[in-house]
Amino acid sequence: MYIFVNALKNIGRNKGRNILIGTIILVLITVSIVSLCINNTTRSIIDDYKSRFGSEVTIAPDMTKAMSMTDIMSGERPTIKRITSQQYLDFAKSQYLKESVITAVTGVAGDGIKAVDEDNNSNVVGGAVFSVSGSSSSSDSEDYVMPTMNLIGNKWDEFNDGFRKLIDGEMPINENECIISKDLADLNSLKVGDKIKLKSSIISIENNEQTVKTKYVELEITGIYFDAAEEYTSQFKISSLNRRNEILTTIDTMFKNFGNIMGITAKYYLKNPSMLKDFEAELRAQGLDEYYLVSTDEAGYQKVVGPVEGLKKISLTFMIIVLIFGAVILVLLSSIAVRERKYEIGVLRAMGMKKKKVALGLWSEMLIITAICLIIGFGVGSLAAQPVCDTLLSGQIESAKAAAQQSGMQFGIALGGPMKNELVPLEQVDISVGTDTIIEIAVIALLLASLASIAAISKVTEYEPIKILMERN
Amino acid sequence: MNTLTLKNVAYQYEGANKLVLKGVNAEFSSGKIYTIVGKSGAGKSTLLALIAGLDVCTEGEIIYKDTNLMELDRDDYRAKSIGVIFQSFNLLTNATGIENILLSMSISGNQEKNKKEYAYALLEKVGIDRETADRKVLKLSGGEQQRIGIARALSHNPDIVIADEPTGNLDSDTEAAVLNILTSLAHDEGKCVIIVTHSKKVTSIADEVWGINDGKLLFVKHS
Repeated sequence: MYIFVNALKNIGRNKGRNILIGTIILVLITVSIVSLCINNTTRSIIDDYKSRFGSEVTIAPDMTKAMSMTDIMSGERPTIKRITSQQYLDFAKSQYLKESVITAVTGVAGDGIKAVDEDNNSNVVGGAVFSVSGSSSSSDSEDYVMPTMNLIGNKWDEFNDGFRKLIDGEMPINENECIISKDLADLNSLKVGDKIKLKSSIISIENNEQTVKTKYVELEITGIYFDAAEEYTSQFKISSLNRRNEILTTIDTMFKNFGNIMGITAKYYLKNPSMLKDFEAELRAQGLDEYYLVSTDEAGYQKVVGPVEGLKKISLTFMIIVLIFGAVILVLLSSIAVRERKYEIGVLRAMGMKKKKVALGLWSEMLIITAICLIIGFGVGSLAAQPVCDTLLSGQIESAKAAAQQSGMQFGIALGGPMKNELVPLEQVDISVGTDTIIEIAVIALLLASLASIAAISKVTEYEPIKILMERN
Repeated sequence: MNTLTLKNVAYQYEGANKLVLKGVNAEFSSGKIYTIVGKSGAGKSTLLALIAGLDVCTEGEIIYKDTNLMELDRDDYRAKSIGVIFQSFNLLTNATGIENILLSMSISGNQEKNKKEYAYALLEKVGIDRETADRKVLKLSGGEQQRIGIARALSHNPDIVIADEPTGNLDSDTEAAVLNILTSLAHDEGKCVIIVTHSKKVTSIADEVWGINDGKLLFVKHS
């Protein structure tokens, strides 16, 4: 205890020297706090974006490759083999996936029920039948049924997002159960428990002859939902594009009734973005055509997070450089300081104080100074972190913009990819001092104090009291 | 029983080719004042440093209460068993007088309940009032610093008190006061007091006078 008390008094006794050492430590701690705040906040942002952008896998035809394989002379193009429903399901079983969402959709018309806005369709009459033109039809071919509604399997995300809400009944669980919109229910005076009949055309081509078969399906209404979103997302106001005409059912119902004739949308989420290559290899082994591209949205990720990553690197590099230079200065200053204190150490040793206690005293002094600097540094660093971050980030965004313009690319447009105007770089990072930052800065402070003390402590072990006192005398 | 026994002690400084002390034999008992006289450079201060446990002898042994100093923890020995009054005081100059005493007490593990009061009392005994005790050592006169040095040497109630030219920097009045304190320590409190000096006045209070000549310690006289 007396060691600590004496260390505390010594700080007051040697104000000038300790203020100098304290100032250096304060600068180092403040820089470290600013850098660590930026680093840790950006790291969590990057991790979040990495998991979002990097884990969702897109499987899409590689048009660039397909076109490059086109025979210029004959104009013959490679055929891209469709992914079957079964393949989509098989892909979802991969060990590299943490989640997969498979949605199936097929156009249907009501058999005895009308779709919302069906009467407004200018060219299409709900449930109207047309002959299919083009190939010759086989003798047993039926008339094509123009879809007025959509039967969708496994599309529940909008209930989580809040755009849709079940207002009566319950969600479908078993095969041949469905829920319909309130508008569709009101239009046809349908209620929970009623059954609806739907029909859809199945076209098959054999021996250059098209055969159209009508598929009928009867579904039981288990619930009615309210849809808060706009009816149409495009200017084409035909009933099959109206959201109110979406009949939602289970994926099993879709596979059982429509098999390979439905459109499938599959979303696969990797456990870790680094598993992409392995996942792709697995898909190829399961028969995925070579003209499909398996990718994550790396470009989008880079566009959004790139400047933040740059900011992270700058702050970290700056901190390391400052810490190295600062530590060197601190050690030098500490060595000079302990030389000045040689006599004091000699006296303490002559009084019988053990070397380790003298060392502990010197270390305690440095720890107290560091602790004071840590408190001040936390205040200053926390205040300075946000403006420093804003300044650095704006610089990064400008650089990224300039680089994008230089490479002939505008923001929001990926090379060889679709327009993604919604992808804008992160322009605001809200800096916060988290627990990890506090722990890291405490460790850095402890290391700084110890480093500065090591120089002093090593001198203490060199000195024999009699030699110091004789030199003095 | 002898408090301190020197057996055939020799000492040679590093890099020197000549022994400073050779074949030193002596016995020092409690309740007596010993003075060691000799020319400058004769090895008086070196002998005191060896006795104080600040250095170790090249040959021979120094025995404190039947135990060879080499077998003792010399830091503990300095902190608890021996009090050293240095010619140049060797105080912590940026601390106050009282802080010097308190620190010495803490190092020795002094169990006094009210250490501060004990330290003030000790300083008062050597003629330092509270106001002076609370001043930084740097702001005190040589005499005052010497008294604080004496108080510090006594702060842990050691068996042996050694003093290197304790009056060398003092005026005659202060010298007399310091000698009174040292005499009282030996004769009233039973300490073993060993003083290195050139001063005849100091020698006059000794129970035994020893001299160092050509590296050898020789008994000169009883008082």
